[in-house]
Amino acid sequence: MSGDPLDLGLRAQAAALAAGEVDPGELLDAALARIEQRNPALNAVVETFPERSREMLAAAPSGPLHGVPLVIKDEWPLPWRAQRFGAAELTVPTAPEESGPYRALRDAGATIVGVGNMHELGAGSTGATSFYGPAHNPWDPERCPGGSSSGPAASVAGGLVTGAVGADGLGSVRFPAAYCGLTGLKPTFGRAAMEGHHMAPTTSLIVSGPLCADAADCRLLGSVLCGEKLPAGDAAGLRIGVVRDAVSEDVTPDVREACEQAIEALRGETSGEVREIELPDLEPAAVAAILIINSESMGGTTPQQLNELHPELSPVARGTLKYRMLLPAAATVQATRVRTMMRRRLAALFEGVDVIAWPTVPAPAPPLEAPVVALPSGPTVADQANVRGGALANMTGIPAISVPVGLSGGLPVALQLQGAWGADALLLDAAEALERANGRRWVDARPPLAQVAPTEA
Amino acid sequence: MEGTAQTDQFIASGLAALGIEADEVDLAVIGAVHQLLWPAVVELLALDTAAVEPEPCPDLSKAPR
Repeated sequence: MSGDPLDLGLRAQAAALAAGEVDPGELLDAALARIEQRNPALNAVVETFPERSREMLAAAPSGPLHGVPLVIKDEWPLPWRAQRFGAAELTVPTAPEESGPYRALRDAGATIVGVGNMHELGAGSTGATSFYGPAHNPWDPERCPGGSSSGPAASVAGGLVTGAVGADGLGSVRFPAAYCGLTGLKPTFGRAAMEGHHMAPTTSLIVSGPLCADAADCRLLGSVLCGEKLPAGDAAGLRIGVVRDAVSEDVTPDVREACEQAIEALRGETSGEVREIELPDLEPAAVAAILIINSESMGGTTPQQLNELHPELSPVARGTLKYRMLLPAAATVQATRVRTMMRRRLAALFEGVDVIAWPTVPAPAPPLEAPVVALPSGPTVADQANVRGGALANMTGIPAISVPVGLSGGLPVALQLQGAWGADALLLDAAEALERANGRRWVDARPPLAQVAPTEA
Repeated sequence: MEGTAQTDQFIASGLAALGIEADEVDLAVIGAVHQLLWPAVVELLALDTAAVEPEPCPDLSKAPR
């Protein structure tokens, strides 16, 4: 085969390994060397463990990902490492163990080559804050990579690996996918492996999900995480719902134009139709999701724990944790009612449309120094802006996918597609149709950092 | 200014009632987060959900019953 196998996509890399065209041991060494070379500029991978990776490879069964080096977010324990959640300390105990995503990857024959950075405590959409220092966006290292799965996204976009496992509680797979020009799938709630996550017993929002260059790679890694094949279809006759209200329209002109073009291209490619739909109360729904994840994450936390927080926890995390204790229970009860209301509205809407489309994030990646975006409504904290479009899928349980659809000022722009419960495969079909429609222009785009001459590999 | 005074009082009394200590940096962060989130919480509380029939033990992996 020609070219560097590290620069293949996930499924091409897996196929080359299966065909014996690439030696898995050499590929692992090359991936570790690539991380050593590129990671100082990205801070995407916070820990490697070459001996553990080699042991994993030596014991790897034949499987769909045999010998493929992957990165996993610092949100799950591994048998040799407890998760740190991007923080100096968690308020819940953690320990090394076999998490669900670890088992899924191991049983598929994959090799975990490193742990991906993340936004501290999973509490942000930008990746700008982390115990390890922030990860950097390969498209512009001064920009946010997105969060909370910042390291997994930067790892894939930077060409360190071909796929990574993230987690999505309010958009944490889709936001970094959008900022880094990747495809990221948030599966239907409960469908993907979650065992071992410190919130697994209590969460009703968080799922594991794949970040890859394109939808077919996400289908492969997503099928492994879900423990079942996400079969390919053609999305023919796709009925695309679009919402036109103050929230969905409050996006930068470039994002609006790229997403409108993508929706039209998707309609044409699938011989489908675009229907305007109404989905009010998106903003209260986003707040409701924040309150729900707040109540689920703070259960068992005592005031005494908050008085003894680790000194290296960031000031933002310390203050936010303490503030969360002040939120009224009545608001959380109201949040569950809003969840029910939105679930029923979506169920009714999905009678008439197959997917709901809107921009994944309203503006491209903001600077790490000041994660604020300039929207038509004015300067807005990126977290506040992003959660409006990301949280609905988590609070209602539906699957969603972020697909790159353009560049604005050299930074990726992305469209989000949301489907009915269990329609994960359809979202992948639709994403592939969109790739076909635009000639794979955006999924094949690579940041300058990942286009470095082959002498480095 | 009245709003600021009320906010300060809400935060200070809430933390004190729970026995949570906060230094100046904590208070600055808490104030900033409160400023961002609280109006939306108030808006959420004002939403009329009286007609929403509860969904007992919802299965988030499926459409509502």
